[in-house]
Amino acid sequence: MSMRPVNIRFCGFGGQGIVLSAIIMGTAAVTRRNLYAVQTQSYGSEARGGQCQAELIISSQPINSPISERKDIIVALSQMALDRYLPSLREGGTLIYDTKLETNLHATSAATIPVPATETAISLGNQIAANMVVLGFLQESTQLITREDLVQVVRETVPAKFLELNLKAVEAGRQLAQGVKLEV
Amino acid sequence: MLESRSGQRVLTGVHFMLGNYAVAEGALAAGCNFFAGCPITPANEISERMAKRLPEVGGHFLQGEDELGSIYAVVGASLAGAKAMTATASAGFNYMQEGLGYAYAIEAPCVIVDVQRCRGENFATQSDVMQMRWGASGDYEAIVLAPASVQELFDYTIRAFNLAERFRNPVIVMSETTIALMRERLEIPPAEQIEVWNRKYTELPPADYLPFKAPEYGVPDFAPLGKGYHTIYSLNPHDERGRIDWDPDVFERLYKRITGKIRENRDLICHTESYHLDDAELALIAYGSEVRPALDAAEMARDSGMKVGVLKLATVWPVPERQILEVAKQCRAVIAVEMNIGKYAGEIERVCAGVCPVHKATRNRGLIHAPEELYQFIQGVWA
Repeated sequence: MSMRPVNIRFCGFGGQGIVLSAIIMGTAAVTRRNLYAVQTQSYGSEARGGQCQAELIISSQPINSPISERKDIIVALSQMALDRYLPSLREGGTLIYDTKLETNLHATSAATIPVPATETAISLGNQIAANMVVLGFLQESTQLITREDLVQVVRETVPAKFLELNLKAVEAGRQLAQGVKLEV
Repeated sequence: MLESRSGQRVLTGVHFMLGNYAVAEGALAAGCNFFAGCPITPANEISERMAKRLPEVGGHFLQGEDELGSIYAVVGASLAGAKAMTATASAGFNYMQEGLGYAYAIEAPCVIVDVQRCRGENFATQSDVMQMRWGASGDYEAIVLAPASVQELFDYTIRAFNLAERFRNPVIVMSETTIALMRERLEIPPAEQIEVWNRKYTELPPADYLPFKAPEYGVPDFAPLGKGYHTIYSLNPHDERGRIDWDPDVFERLYKRITGKIRENRDLICHTESYHLDDAELALIAYGSEVRPALDAAEMARDSGMKVGVLKLATVWPVPERQILEVAKQCRAVIAVEMNIGKYAGEIERVCAGVCPVHKATRNRGLIHAPEELYQFIQGVWA
């Protein structure tokens, strides 16, 4: 499979599983799809104030520069992160954001997709699974990895007592993405 | 060598692994069985991983009370025959210089990982590059390897152990925040495909053994402490027997040998890689993570019809002079790329003096170069 590099930024606040989301997606791409991936995160004192962001590049070829300020997809789970990182979305890119957030996208031609990630996770029993809803949504809408890839890596990564909740959240995210197709 | 009691020493397979973890796995694959370190970001995940993994394979982990304690523990373990490593980050690397100087003088093989950081935090930099060469007092030659990826953090850590064993010299793995805290594809080969070198042990009984006897630029045979070989390991000038001797001839013979054993083997130690250099008129010379945007920039330049290549310095010290000079003779100019005020660029200027001009794409603001920035720099030089 040959593909152009896909640049994804996950952002939100600490505790939402932002970095974990990028790691799970990257692990699935590398260990199960035989792709290349690079994942970095902001790791300075500024991140301790609550903001958190992780970058993931997935490609069929080795990746040189680990940074890219033109993201194809931004996943935002907090208002502060959304406001801060939206300018890094490339023209024609896609913003996936939690429905509880407000966005003002007049300056960009990006596609915007509100996903009720937090709401869905709460209905499943715990809002901490919002990141898994988003991962399920990303998997189904991009097909960068398969459902089986994602489920398997979630099984290997998530603590046993949260596994059932997380797998339900992944499935709910996939259902939310039915009929949504993101070109990557 | 030590057998593993539980757990696997070599995690053969494809991983999506953190750079710091890849260093630990490389060390284990090379046969490391002792680690001592003191907590410091962004090197902590190396210690964390070693603390978990070393006991699984029959090795020993020590959390040092500080950096000096850690480096001396590593030296002691090495003298007892262990393959030993420590990891730290810039500010901690300062503290290790004394123990490091001792290790050079007594020819204790060991591996030191410096995960460079700047702005007092976990920001990218290559500003320790000169300290890694001659940070300690005394005359010696350093071997410093500069990985550019998670895969190379694994591969070069193995190579660091091999060179340390082969030359009885400390070897430094020059890591950086950029790659240490990055997750990336890592392929770990089967254990039997990994080349591992071990130091040469003496075959002589203690009565006949001279601990520092070696050819003019050679490496002495090793005898471990605790096995009846009562060697004095002194930082002071010492003769073949290890006795302290202040005679100028003894002193000169010693430092000429411990520097000569590295200098005379530069072809074995120095590794470089060439990209698009066959017909290049302009070359970027880079090491560590800066190789990555340099490669992207060279490809952008090629797409615009500029014949640009990249020389990657996998070994930073000793300077790969022959390889740099070859590029200088072929090109109209070279561009030194690094994340500091232009420290290694001075070495490139020295090698290229009178052959071709050296331009400097250097800066230190906690950020790796973007490919576009280097591309613009290339355009300026090309015109």
